[in-house]
Amino acid sequence: MRIQDIRKMFPALSQTVYGKPLVYFDNAATAQRPESVVRKMESLALGTNANIHRAVHKLASEATEEYESTRDVVREYINAESRQEVVFTSGTTASINLVAFSFGEVFVGEGDEIIVSEEEHHSNIVPWQMLCQRKKATLKVLRVDDEGHLKINDLTTLITSRTKIVAVTHISNVLGIINPVKEIVNICHSKGCPVLIDGAQGIVHQKVDVQDLDCDFYAFSGHKIYAATGTGVLYGKKKWLEQMVPYQGGGEMIETVKFSGTTYAPLPGKFEAGTQNINAVPTLKPAIEFMKLLEDGELRREMGEVEERFFASLRMTGSKVFGVPRGTERKIPLCSFTVGGAHHEDIALILDKMGIAVRSGQMCAEPLMDRFGVTGMLRVSLAPYNTVEEVEYFEKALDKAIKMLV
Amino acid sequence: MRTLEEAKKAVIEDFSMYDEWLDKYEYLIDLGKNLEPYPEDKKTDDKLIKGCQSRVWLDSKVEEGKIFFSADSDAIITKGIISLLISVYSGREPKEIANDDFGFIGEIGLKENLSPTRANGLVSMIAKIKELASETASMAADEVLTAEDAKALAPLYDNVVLALKQVYDPEIPVNIYDLGLIYELIINKKHEAFIKMTFTAPTCPMADEVLAQVKECVADVPGITGCEVELTFEPPWDQSMLSDEARVELGLD
Repeated sequence: MRIQDIRKMFPALSQTVYGKPLVYFDNAATAQRPESVVRKMESLALGTNANIHRAVHKLASEATEEYESTRDVVREYINAESRQEVVFTSGTTASINLVAFSFGEVFVGEGDEIIVSEEEHHSNIVPWQMLCQRKKATLKVLRVDDEGHLKINDLTTLITSRTKIVAVTHISNVLGIINPVKEIVNICHSKGCPVLIDGAQGIVHQKVDVQDLDCDFYAFSGHKIYAATGTGVLYGKKKWLEQMVPYQGGGEMIETVKFSGTTYAPLPGKFEAGTQNINAVPTLKPAIEFMKLLEDGELRREMGEVEERFFASLRMTGSKVFGVPRGTERKIPLCSFTVGGAHHEDIALILDKMGIAVRSGQMCAEPLMDRFGVTGMLRVSLAPYNTVEEVEYFEKALDKAIKMLV
Repeated sequence: MRTLEEAKKAVIEDFSMYDEWLDKYEYLIDLGKNLEPYPEDKKTDDKLIKGCQSRVWLDSKVEEGKIFFSADSDAIITKGIISLLISVYSGREPKEIANDDFGFIGEIGLKENLSPTRANGLVSMIAKIKELASETASMAADEVLTAEDAKALAPLYDNVVLALKQVYDPEIPVNIYDLGLIYELIINKKHEAFIKMTFTAPTCPMADEVLAQVKECVADVPGITGCEVELTFEPPWDQSMLSDEARVELGLD
């Protein structure tokens, strides 16, 4: 399989903006959707639309089958032990908030500690801050070194007997370096501390096996792996999910409801109150099928060439890239960078007029911007449908933008 | 000086010379690079315009009834945009700006062609220019006060003066009001206080603390909704500005 074959599956990529072919380089924010996902959205909306789990009629049972079979597909894809460990949410943010509330409510008390890293997305900081405020707990920070690596050696001293959970990203949405999450999990577990991994970027670029990682929670979004927006997954070990209290009360999450008291539904229903995103969750099935296509060897080699060309183009334009891989470490095709003498927003604006979509600003990681002493950065993130020609065009465009500004 | 309409027409003509948006950006970049330097010490948080991805500072001053703007930004295209606004609006009567609809921005298609964050930034810049202009306009002497307004304002003036009498120049045992440091006190219909004041010498080391204290004391007066303090050394302070009480206190009589 070749990149061009992949590209043909994405109708959105053939559009023009300002009369120029669209070069979509903001894939870390959200990916485009393949036709198979769009068709699934369409057939769910136009055909299989009924509320799930409740009614006895034909359409409801078809919709339930669509939804629940998706859980099996996700379970298999991430190799969770049981389908009860796969909770559908609206995205990574919702998954983390769920844990911060439901786990925090049971396990975190006054004087306890929670650890996050300095390179977290706001979504993996703010929910924990809110928990700390609620419970009078302390938020501690695992620092990042100058090259953008987590100082994981500090973890052993940072974790104390009061540390209740460590929340860390698999791959930072700014730095693009694959964190040694398995090692982090090992360290935390040796101290008796559970770990949540923010997999929003990680699942896009890594084959995730939650049993092999042995993480306690793994959160990710559907829209970054080509499924519909408003879909997401929280993987959680059964032993934790069972002890956690529900996040929201409502229909579907109950066993019996009496005014004298309510008992909750078994997992994972306990965490899926109300009508779920039934027209979107099943798009995870064609999305995961698509993800599996990307494992093709020939395609991988071609993608590798595009990545190399991309890293080279940034070097050639003299950009300062944040997150420098060490030794055999791999950086995903995601680079955040600054250009001396030019404001990130100016460059993004000029690139936009040349048809190139990139991200500029703080990338929802203000503490990391502060860490590197910048007000913002530019970010280019590639997907398997991006070509060498696009990268070459980007290099010329970036060069032109810099000449205009500096 | 050109009229407001002429200034707008000139911008629209300049913009229409370029077909390509990249060329229009070049034009804005040029404007940005040629904007008059903005003093570093005015790059304070209260001058920052909220709602922009880049940082934009906007300041204004009033001279002979006309309002003059100065600005800066760390992003050059944004700087070009604010420069364009300044070229049209600076040096005009506050009322004229406050009543303007800024519709010419739509005619040059600027807002539609900016990224959403920058479009919001443009909206915020326009709002700030209008806000500064209408503040100044409402402060102007010709604000029409009804008898009711005057009645409501009278006790506020008394209480603001009492508040000012609580503030002391750290080196002189007389409060700043009796020292004659307050040159102007205006309270508008929105019950916002505007104070123009001076110091006994331009080198007063405690100036910032005293200004902050004035602002805080006045803003704390019940009924007052806001306070702006402007520092001036024109005319310079001299002993004739002391109140009778102060003269006695200082043993000058």
